[in-house]
Amino acid sequence: MAEVSATEPFISDEDFQKFREYFYRKTGIQFEANKRYFVDKRLLERMLATGNALFRSYFTMLRFQTSGAELQTLTNLMTVNETYFFREEYQFQCLVDSILPELVLRKKNDAPLRIWVLPSSSGEEPYSIAIYLLERWAQINSYDVEIIASDIDTRILDQARVGKYSARSVAQLPQQYLQKYFRRTGNEYQILENLRSAVEFTRVNLSERSDTRPYRNFDVVFCRNLLIYFDDLSRKAAVETFYDALKPGGFICLGHSESMSRISSLYKVRKFPEAIVYQKPTE
Amino acid sequence: MALIKAALFGAQEHPQRQHERDCAGLVRQLNESSAEARRWAARDMADCHDNADALVERLRIEQDESVREFIFTTLTRIGDRTAVDGLVEFLRSEDAVLRNEAIEAMKQLPDAVTGIMQGLLNDVDSDVRIFAINVLESLPHPAVEQWLTEIIERDAHVNVCATAVDLLGEVGSRAVLEPVLRLKSRFAREPYIQFAADLAIKRILEG
Repeated sequence: MAEVSATEPFISDEDFQKFREYFYRKTGIQFEANKRYFVDKRLLERMLATGNALFRSYFTMLRFQTSGAELQTLTNLMTVNETYFFREEYQFQCLVDSILPELVLRKKNDAPLRIWVLPSSSGEEPYSIAIYLLERWAQINSYDVEIIASDIDTRILDQARVGKYSARSVAQLPQQYLQKYFRRTGNEYQILENLRSAVEFTRVNLSERSDTRPYRNFDVVFCRNLLIYFDDLSRKAAVETFYDALKPGGFICLGHSESMSRISSLYKVRKFPEAIVYQKPTE
Repeated sequence: MALIKAALFGAQEHPQRQHERDCAGLVRQLNESSAEARRWAARDMADCHDNADALVERLRIEQDESVREFIFTTLTRIGDRTAVDGLVEFLRSEDAVLRNEAIEAMKQLPDAVTGIMQGLLNDVDSDVRIFAINVLESLPHPAVEQWLTEIIERDAHVNVCATAVDLLGEVGSRAVLEPVLRLKSRFAREPYIQFAADLAIKRILEG
């Protein structure tokens, strides 16, 4: 067996255990033992970058740093951000063909329709929704719509605001949308300024009550492929957060492998022709 | 009309924010007339570790299912002895929704529940013993097999033993085969026990 030198940064089993309990408390994200390599690699990277040869000193800094900057940096590294335009498109179809028509029928005032997308990741999903609304919802000219996209990862939010994407990321987009809403720069495609400015990107830790408190009065929440990273209790707390973020009768769309019925009984299941989504009771 | 930039959030601050958000204030808000205010109070009380009793008290009278669900989540987050004792109280409830919520919450609290599990498995009420076995269903604790074995060895109630042997079929090792055979002898005239015990044996042997 190779010896570990005294100066070589190293994450012991006990360190891993301590870190994963702390990170779970702060973010609701649970790392099982099979993620050990993934976690160790990122911890060691940050230990090196911050000049901490020992996990113990790095962990102390992480926990007690007043600004919380290192926790944010580490969180950025620990979260997975892989998506593409028009992923699980059937839900966008459901939005324009079933959800929005029902919402506007119930609408009693001129307030904008509000859509909350999280995780925002690098922006593919909120921009996909924006494009879908502009292109495929005939009533877009009759209603104001606000799209707010949130993520725990500040680095990825900056990327989303810039809105530059690879050819792979936009491969599912119809060619005419690509021409209409993007500008090609070399090998990249950048979302045009007017569309970028229509989406508000915000940093939110879904497990932090003070972060989520201001998020209210939404008509639709898209939270796809995030809850799979949470444990049961954090998942339940998250859908309770959405419950009070939504207006009565508001809708929530989860990822295709996620089911609300395994998390909470707060929502009604709505089976639309395009997709199964969940609805807060109208009270 | 079109896509517009969201006006963030000042205008949406809720009137309830005008109230004190300290623990004493939150306890008072658990009794507000608005279900939304009660949900928010219950949610924010996750940091009020000394106030689980107030949540349990509210749960005894709370009629709104959404508020009840929020209170259960917060009790699970607090997870202290008061919270767990409160959950045990709801295992005895006539209200099936409350009972199931209590069972689900207790499944999330292996450390806290372990200390009281023996007591629950010996409760005079056979329904409580069955609900305790339901908690064991997904309680990650090394003593689960031993607890279930003790039940099938000595519990006199056929439904309790049936629930335990069902679960042993899922989580038991070969060490429980002899106790399962003894259960079959003890309830030789109970067809369900014969069926459930045979099924458990088959599953355990199939590994």
